[in-house]
Amino acid sequence: MTLEVKGLHKRYGEVEIFRDFSISFTEGMITCILGPSGCGKTTLLNILGKIIPPDGGTLAGFDGKIVSYIFQEPRLLPWKSVRGNIEFVLDRNLLPEERKKITDRFISLVELEDFADYYPAKLSGGMRQRVSIARAFAYPSDIILMDEPLKGLDIKLKLNLIQTFSRIWQEDRRTVIFVTHDVDEALLLGNEIVVFSRAPVEIVTQKQIGVPIEERSLNSDYLKNLEKELLRALGG
Amino acid sequence: MSLVSVIIILVTWKFFSLYFNSEFVLPSPEKTLLTTLKLFVDDRFLVTVGTTILRSLTGFIVSFFLGLLAGIAAGVNPYVDAFLRPVLVTIRSVPIIAIILLALIWLTPGTVPVFIAMLTMFPFICTNVSDGIKSVDRDLVKMAKFYRVENARIVKELYIPAIMPFIISGASSAMGIGWRAIITGEVLSHPRYGIGTLMQNAQTFLNVDVVIAWTIIAVVISYGFEKVIRWSERKLIIWRA
Repeated sequence: MTLEVKGLHKRYGEVEIFRDFSISFTEGMITCILGPSGCGKTTLLNILGKIIPPDGGTLAGFDGKIVSYIFQEPRLLPWKSVRGNIEFVLDRNLLPEERKKITDRFISLVELEDFADYYPAKLSGGMRQRVSIARAFAYPSDIILMDEPLKGLDIKLKLNLIQTFSRIWQEDRRTVIFVTHDVDEALLLGNEIVVFSRAPVEIVTQKQIGVPIEERSLNSDYLKNLEKELLRALGG
Repeated sequence: MSLVSVIIILVTWKFFSLYFNSEFVLPSPEKTLLTTLKLFVDDRFLVTVGTTILRSLTGFIVSFFLGLLAGIAAGVNPYVDAFLRPVLVTIRSVPIIAIILLALIWLTPGTVPVFIAMLTMFPFICTNVSDGIKSVDRDLVKMAKFYRVENARIVKELYIPAIMPFIISGASSAMGIGWRAIITGEVLSHPRYGIGTLMQNAQTFLNVDVVIAWTIIAVVISYGFEKVIRWSERKLIIWRA
């Protein structure tokens, strides 16, 4: 199954971001969209999440799909604990015990069991982002949209979050669309990598990575060569 | 350190009372303390203090709810905000004494202090609530909407906790200012019972020790209100770092 965007048009005033743009996403895969800052990656996510309407074009396969989000900032409610923040997005039709069960499961998947009752102010930046990952997975979505969730974090924290993310992702292999401008993040996390040009957006190149996420190393020749190709595509 | 400052105040007080050496100008601290203790056993003490406290609570509750409603309206709707702004500035900049003089003409002695309290407290509550609503993190609201959280829960679990610190700090300033305004109102309107009434009586007969004794009692009660408000703040806002 694929999700398809066909003939997309979107402009902001004089700036034309998408002109007859088409792209497809394979379900159950992590697609990384790589592109220069301000090229329209976030706009695409907002269109896919039906937060902003496109000026033209069609979306196929998105109807009835539930979407969850991981933002650049964790966006946690400061007055709710880790547990409370995850429960906040869960369906009120579920029984409280069911909500608790789901919440506990994802808290343990992001290894925050000991911090379940902590308020965000007491957590480190990386821990907060792990809560926001747990929240996105605890929400019964079909698609997870991620907008540069690792931006501004140091490399160690990045690797740690990528591992956490891929571990949870292995559990149910949801469709993930991940926007970033960082080539390393794309290499470590993507099954498919799509490189965008500056606006109006065109697809410069599209790569697939066969190596399972947990076996990838940025030092391997395979990823090093791929990195060179992607950097060239981004620069061009 | 607070103890040191209290001691310095008492020593200075004692020094000046010795210097003037007149009960009618400045009685000594120990005499005043004795007078204060005597006030406690006076059979009119409870009804006097109780009436003044009741007046301030009435004024507080009424202005709290009016301020809350007006503050929410102003926080949500820029037109209401623009409409209320000059009203609040006017209320705030009119001297309290002018309002009291007018209230004396319009109202009965018992209601004057309540009216004054309402007018002085209302702007604090209203401004703080509307500032609180404007300060709510839009990104959090967007997050809740992305996750399709129901509007009623967004209000209850996002807006209300976010503005709670603003409400409490508004309540604290309102109580501090309102309490003083109430006693001023009582001094001038002279209702049957009230701390201000007895202060005015004492002043007429040059019982300076009684005036100071009531002042001390008023300060202690005001301190008590502040403690209650800070206590509820700690209970309600446990999530702050």
